[in-house]
Amino acid sequence: MPRSMPTGSRIRDRRLELAIKQGALAAKVGISPSYLNLIEHNRRPIGGSLLIRLAEALGVDRAALSEDGDSGLVSAVQAAGAARGLGPDSLAQAADLARRLPDWARVIQAQAQALAAQARTIEAMSDRLAHDPSLAEAMHELLSTVSVVRSTASILAQTPEIDPNWLARFHANLDEDSRRLAEGAEAVVGLFDRKATAGDGNLLPSEGVARFLEAQDDLAGALEGPSGGAAVPDLVAGIADPATRTLAAEVLTRDAADAARLPRPLVEMARTPDDLIDAAQGDMALVLRRMGLAVPGRGLVICDAAGAMIRRKPVAGFPLPVVGAGCPLWPVYAAFRQPGRALAARIETPDGAGWQVHAVAASVTPPKFGTEPVLQSTMLLTRADTPGRAEPVGPGCRTCPRADCAARREPSVLSEPVAPGAAALLPARP
Amino acid sequence: MTADQSAPQTSPGRVLLIEDEPNIATAIAFILQRDGWRVSTHSDGTTALEAVDRHAPDVVVLDVMLPGKSGFDILGAIRDGERSALPVLMLTAKGQTKDRERAEALGVSRFMTKPFSNRDLLDAVRELAGAPDGTG
Repeated sequence: MPRSMPTGSRIRDRRLELAIKQGALAAKVGISPSYLNLIEHNRRPIGGSLLIRLAEALGVDRAALSEDGDSGLVSAVQAAGAARGLGPDSLAQAADLARRLPDWARVIQAQAQALAAQARTIEAMSDRLAHDPSLAEAMHELLSTVSVVRSTASILAQTPEIDPNWLARFHANLDEDSRRLAEGAEAVVGLFDRKATAGDGNLLPSEGVARFLEAQDDLAGALEGPSGGAAVPDLVAGIADPATRTLAAEVLTRDAADAARLPRPLVEMARTPDDLIDAAQGDMALVLRRMGLAVPGRGLVICDAAGAMIRRKPVAGFPLPVVGAGCPLWPVYAAFRQPGRALAARIETPDGAGWQVHAVAASVTPPKFGTEPVLQSTMLLTRADTPGRAEPVGPGCRTCPRADCAARREPSVLSEPVAPGAAALLPARP
Repeated sequence: MTADQSAPQTSPGRVLLIEDEPNIATAIAFILQRDGWRVSTHSDGTTALEAVDRHAPDVVVLDVMLPGKSGFDILGAIRDGERSALPVLMLTAKGQTKDRERAEALGVSRFMTKPFSNRDLLDAVRELAGAPDGTG
């Protein structure tokens, strides 16, 4: 099977090879025959749990059906190599490595992910050491008590003749403070222990929610229907960290409310966001959220006005940065320039893939005279199915190889020299 | 209860110790008294300035974390008042750079972090008493 064959065509070929009728396959994976027909003719994106179900029904590995089967793996191997200083020639061999030695490539990917997780843990712990008020208070208590014990012990050791009353008092103080010292040490250890055993305790709640959402197989399906919100408590019950659990519940409750307003069958049949605007009563951000979350094979990014990604659903072939901001050329940021205006654009990632993008910035607070609206911008990513002119973008400066980008704010780990555009953004040397 | 009969007959001066932790106050007072200093102790941040006026010390040993008013507030008030040149030795378990910088910006004479040695504390007080302009 050629590597460039679209996923839908691969599904169709495999089905015909097994002589399975379209209706039978659709029933087996729980979708309508018309929807499967759209998928097979590459008119609907496909991914996530539906692709897994189709692969199982067709008796093949998911990667054998997905045209992006190993693009994520190649990107991960390239990033791992770049982080260790490999040059462009070596990085170009990543695709070959992933194809010939996929198990070893996955080991590299897993090791790089483990290193990144450890780095985040260290960063989170350092942050807590500096800012956690409970830890600061416990350390202050500990150091104060150590100070008393040290001073008192020195007095007892270095004062040859000491009044019996003072002696008794210092002995009593030493006894009391050594006990306080033991309790203080236990308190500090307990603080670290609680954080370490809290599961997501080494992540910020927002990071923990992002990780939770990405780990769920068919979260969107569980939230469908008018009573989808009732499923939220059970869905988040396994999250250990209370702050992360609360935040995840808020996110899923909003998703369930969206699902009730714009049911999944409507969303699945829509070819473009325009098809859903009437059903969504003009709420374009709702349309983009629903198409991004309810339909596999599409990506979604939601940013606040500070540019922070508050919701990210990655899609194969369009890597989203785990930390930090995305590419400043993404339309999700341009949408902030004119809130309410729906943008449609075509962009191209550094690997040459084309993407159809829809973005809109909208207020998330009720309008009120004299009050600035709180804006969020939403961007839907759909793989372009036809070639065409597109604006070049990247995944975010850290992992973007475009050296001549005027919007670059920091050097890429994929290229040694600092691009001319970046030099203009760096502070002038004194 | 005084520190010891072996204390010097001529006192080098008076120290006001502003510290709310009784055991550390006891230990510091003992060390200073044995070195000949006349020591007064005070544990409340809110009335610390009145204690400064009442005792007229040569050196103030000041904790940062106090009930009512922080050591930073008291230091700032001393520097803004009539006794602005009074040497102040600040003690803290919060040894972070920003705390030191804050104390220095307010005009602290000397900054020591807990735990400290008795010898270092004595040396610091003696040094400050010999530099009445408060610059150490």
